[in-house]
Amino acid sequence: MSKNPPLKSMSCNLAGRGFGMLPVKDLECPSENNQQTLPLIHGFFVDLLRGEQNTDGGWGYRSGTQSAVEPTAWAALALQPLEPPDSKILSSASEWLLRAQTSEGAWPTGSGSEPGCWVTALACLALLNQHGRDEEAVARGARWLCSTWPAEGNLMWRLRKHLHRKPENVVRQDDSLRGWNWTPGTASWVEPTAYSLLLLQNIPDHIRPSQAGERIRLAERMLYDRSCPGGGWNTGNPLVYGVPGVPRTGPTAWALLALRNHRDHPASAEGIEWLARALKGIRSPGALALAHLCLEVYGHNPAPVDVDFCNFYKKNQFLQSVPVVAWASLALNGVPFWLKPSPAARSPK
Amino acid sequence: MSYSNVRLVPPFQRSPSRVAIRAVSSYEADVEAVVMETLQELRPPVCGKSVLIKPNFVEPDIGGVINTHPIVIRAAREAFLRLGAKSVIIAEGPGHERDTEGILEVLQLKDYIGPLDRSFTDLNTDEVSQVPTRTKASKLKSLFLSKTVLGADFVVSMPKMKTHHWVGVTLALKNMFGIVPGNCYGWPKNVLHWAGLSESILDINSTVRPDFAIVDGIVGMEGNGPIQGTPKASCVIVAGDDPVAVDATCARIMGLVPERIDYLKRAALLLGHMEENKIEQLGETIGSVCRPFEILPEFQSLRA
Repeated sequence: MSKNPPLKSMSCNLAGRGFGMLPVKDLECPSENNQQTLPLIHGFFVDLLRGEQNTDGGWGYRSGTQSAVEPTAWAALALQPLEPPDSKILSSASEWLLRAQTSEGAWPTGSGSEPGCWVTALACLALLNQHGRDEEAVARGARWLCSTWPAEGNLMWRLRKHLHRKPENVVRQDDSLRGWNWTPGTASWVEPTAYSLLLLQNIPDHIRPSQAGERIRLAERMLYDRSCPGGGWNTGNPLVYGVPGVPRTGPTAWALLALRNHRDHPASAEGIEWLARALKGIRSPGALALAHLCLEVYGHNPAPVDVDFCNFYKKNQFLQSVPVVAWASLALNGVPFWLKPSPAARSPK
Repeated sequence: MSYSNVRLVPPFQRSPSRVAIRAVSSYEADVEAVVMETLQELRPPVCGKSVLIKPNFVEPDIGGVINTHPIVIRAAREAFLRLGAKSVIIAEGPGHERDTEGILEVLQLKDYIGPLDRSFTDLNTDEVSQVPTRTKASKLKSLFLSKTVLGADFVVSMPKMKTHHWVGVTLALKNMFGIVPGNCYGWPKNVLHWAGLSESILDINSTVRPDFAIVDGIVGMEGNGPIQGTPKASCVIVAGDDPVAVDATCARIMGLVPERIDYLKRAALLLGHMEENKIEQLGETIGSVCRPFEILPEFQSLRA
């Protein structure tokens, strides 16, 4: 259930159509957050998402571009709590996602053909709460994810490391702790690992792959291993040549969301402290949405951000990014079901 | 067109290249005048063409050392328009950070080039076409490349002058990694690392060879580059129509031997000139602006 008042149709002062690239000069942002502005601004982004759906049922990364898995998954996840059960928007989105699944059970990256772990996790997450008939697709996607291992730690990696030995401090990481890569044949990184964890933590028992528990434990440990000294996460290089990596909002938020069942872990505590400190300096709507959502999940009660989103939108129209509009909508709508504490929480060792 | 017109020409069949080195004391100097004067001298054939400027934006950097400075980008954009370009767009797919808007906001790019929706394209989320690589140095064999890049008439690589902890230096050729979209290859574009960095640099540049390069060396980065090094003021802008010659000249300015940089050595076989006697030097001499960069112990063999 959404924590917010019902969405309202756009009033005239928020009626500047967004992505169709019609002028947004009429978009007037209120000076402060209040109970009246939030549904209006949230409604603006939701209307924007609905309006950007392509006729084939999917969404492109930007307005008017061909449908792709990631924006379709994010748009569907953002709209799920707001659409009626018989929503045509959601059913056509599901159908698009089902058509996009590859024969091996994965979903393709922006290439339209090559499989990607992050998009597979997101597509499955978007299909999870849709219709019973999508369960088989989710099960196949989850099985594909659980059988896909990153390249570090394999025989070739060990051989290459042996042949091209570098000083111990070049990249400080434990290669035995493996999460998920962006694309097969490459190394583990923070964001695809976090997305895959979110899926496996939410998947119903009857379609949960047998390897899921072990993959979850290993991936959670991998995320902790990749946290930056002092707190937070970047893409996945916490220390290179002895120099601590700078944490970034997006990876930090996703890592913390994937580790939300272990909030007492010292690295989680450091990460959330870093994120709370970073909040004031955030300069983009995508980072703001993720930080806000994460702080809310961790019970920090962050200040309302509807007016900030309005101002960001007025400034650059979110660079027309459909995923960012979806994240803003998610942040304004309260914690979704897939970010609630997972019943299968276990402590990573 | 930068894609379809790429010709792989060995050095003995290639006419000499021209590279200009301009001294610029700081970003407060009249950068626009320097860039305009340089382009007027080099005369890049941009009249009536759509120009795509590919800067080097990696991640948000308040210190201004990692990313190409927006003053230099604005100067180049204005100069190309004055030389008759039909349009000029700035396009980049940052390698380390999905939050492109966050990078642009820290750079304050909008203040320099106007509304971003009209003048900037995020290559990480652009539509792509699959194209075969013109060389087969890496395992890739084909690349998914941004349609915006493939559709541009004239591609300009505009890197920052920096050291790089995996390949020695990152200049005009390495900068082209940014045309490979994150929505296909992830962040960072780890596929390229696994396919071989030097080999991938050659394959990308043989497929979309930059028509021109302008290197921001006013303040670059030395040591543990390209993101964790320290500022290095070389106080130069280096430009030319041969990205290999521009990179070789920059390497010499950095106190390095270009012939010892693996990817540059490979690129010099087919994409441009590396030898000093094949590069017509305009403006300052290398000797007058050479300020050796600190480099990691692993790359000491690159030193002149």
